[in-house]
Order: sequence, then structure tokens, then C-alpha cells
Amino acid sequence: MILYTPMQLELVVEGMEKMCAQVTRELYVGDVHMLVEDSGPGAFRVVKLLSTDPDHYLIPGFSPGQIINVNQINCREFVSV
Amino acid sequence: MSDRTNNEKQKFHDQSPEIEPDPATIPEHDPECPVDPDNPNDEGCPRVPRRVQGRSKGGSLEAIRELGASPLPEIKSNIHCLSIVGQIEGHLVLPPQNKTTKYEHVIPQLVALEQANEIEGVLIILNTVGGDVEAGLAIAEMIASMSKPTVSIVLGGGHSIGVPVACAASFSFIAETASMTIHPIRLNGLVIGVPQTYEYLDKMQDRVVRFVTRHSKVKEETFRELMFRTGELARDIGTVLIGKEAVDKGLIDEVGALGQAVAKIKHMIEEWKKGKEVPLQ
Repeated sequence: MILYTPMQLELVVEGMEKMCAQVTRELYVGDVHMLVEDSGPGAFRVVKLLSTDPDHYLIPGFSPGQIINVNQINCREFVSV
Repeated sequence: MSDRTNNEKQKFHDQSPEIEPDPATIPEHDPECPVDPDNPNDEGCPRVPRRVQGRSKGGSLEAIRELGASPLPEIKSNIHCLSIVGQIEGHLVLPPQNKTTKYEHVIPQLVALEQANEIEGVLIILNTVGGDVEAGLAIAEMIASMSKPTVSIVLGGGHSIGVPVACAASFSFIAETASMTIHPIRLNGLVIGVPQTYEYLDKMQDRVVRFVTRHSKVKEETFRELMFRTGELARDIGTVLIGKEAVDKGLIDEVGALGQAVAKIKHMIEEWKKGKEVPLQ
């Protein structure tokens, strides 16, 4: 990877060695297929979308890093694969 | 995993409220016992009240509503705003102190914008400190190859790999106070000390230089001169261009921000629509 940035590299990569692999799982929220990681009880954080429908990528609530609360989702829309 | 999900599902079922039917939504007559249209006195069988449960339509709009996001505006804009902020994250996930723009999310967004009928123009807001060369160039190429009008605004900063992304739009603006750092790229991590490493680095740099010179009015010699200038940056070689300087060098088209950019994109959309119209025979 070539990082092209005027920021000090030490600041950018600080803590990189402590980062560990995320524990992720795949979910369908509605018809949107996504990869999520657990974020506390009853919530998960979107890691990335796996859906192939480009329109899903325009939904603000599903952008990476967004927290989705399980209680707010209709259970029929919450299917693990 | 699946057991857990089933438990969770059951839990939600148990938690889901029993909703009393809204009298306004109950049909007056039992569907099983239709009214005789010929008999004006026949009011049909009264409907037996029963509990009904809300059912979602399962669409993505419904999902947004379920997620508690702010309500969607009724009128949708024909311009989509795409913001590219922080580090443009490449093939490695950066530590969490970095604000990042993820290319795997931005690229499908551009695909959606290109094919969505209701979107007629894309406004790209840049405040980035650069990032991965491959990811930045990928986004820049996607923007440059769009058929719809694109306008970029550099606000705050559009440094390093942010420069090609800014140039990629059909028309670019820079705020008066915004800055752009142009400097040579360098390798990080393990570098093998062989002459080929230098050649590789030079090739990678050429990709950036070629893209910028192809999509802006800057000359290659000027851009390389800016890139290798000494004495401007305290810790690096290169140049910082602020507002009008970027326009004078030909890197950006005009100084301006929101008002000018929206006016420009609206004008470009008009032109684009005219170009799309099939002339009458």
C-alpha cells in the first residue's frame, strides 16, 4: 500500500500493530446483505455492505461504521445467514 | 449462531406489542359476508373485532424508518452530494483514530448515481488528507468517467491523493481558504534497496501526475515542479497551494464554494439535458 498523505505517518498508523481481526458476521436487514460486527448488547456496527444492488449503498443508515440497533428492527428483517 | 438468532427472533415476537385495531382501518362489513347491492337495507354481517399485528413492507425505506433515522424529505434533490473526508482508506484498514472514506462503499455509490434516473448531477465535497494511491485513483477514475455532470468543491483541504479526486470532476471549485498539498509519493513499510524500487515508485508517481494533467489545465512540467519544490514545506518537499493559487496553476477551475458550485451544476445539468434531447426531424 502506498499511503500518499501529508500527515505524519506515525500518527496515521499509530496503534496498527494492536489491531486484531474483527469478528464479523453476515446479516440481511430487509433485503440488504451486509457484514457487521457486534457492538454491545443488541447493537451491531456495519463493516461493509455485501449487497450487489448499488442503490443499497446510497442508504445513509447503512454506511460503514453506522450502528444499527436490533430492537429497532422488525425481527422478520433480521435474518442471520 | 442460528440458535441464537432464533432465540432473538422469539424474543422480538414476545416483545412485539399487541396492537388494538384502529377503528378507522376496520372494514365495516365482514368480507366473508358481502353486502347485497340490490338490497339497500342490507348492512352485511358486523365484523368480529380481532387483534391485528402490524406488518412491514420490507422495503429499504421502511428499514431506514425502522432504524430511527431522521425522516426522509418528501422532495428529492436531483443533485447528490458525495463527501470524501479524512483518509481515503485503501487495502489496509487504518487504526480507528483516522476518519476514513472507504472506497468499497464509494465506488458502488457512484454506480448507483450513474444509473439512477432521478439523479442528474453529483456534487463532490472534499476535505481529505489524502490516503491510499490505488483507492484514490479508483474513485477519481470513477468520477471522471461518469456521464452526468460532476462538480467538486475543495473545502479545508484536498491534499495529495485528494488532488486527482478534485480534478476528476467535470468542473472544480476551491474555497478561498482551502489548501492543497502537492508532494512526491513515498513508499512505506519494508523497502527493498534495489534500483527497481526507485523505478516502481516513479511509475506510481507517474500515475498520479498523468491523471492530474489529463483532467486539469495544469502542465506536466508545472505539476512536477510544484511536487519537487524545496523550501516550502518544513518536513517535506513539495508545495501548498491556497485557494486562488491552485486556480492560477490550472489545477482547479475556479475559486468558490457552495453557492457557485450549486449554480454551476444546475447550469451544467441544463446543458446536459439539452445534449440528451433527440433533435426533431
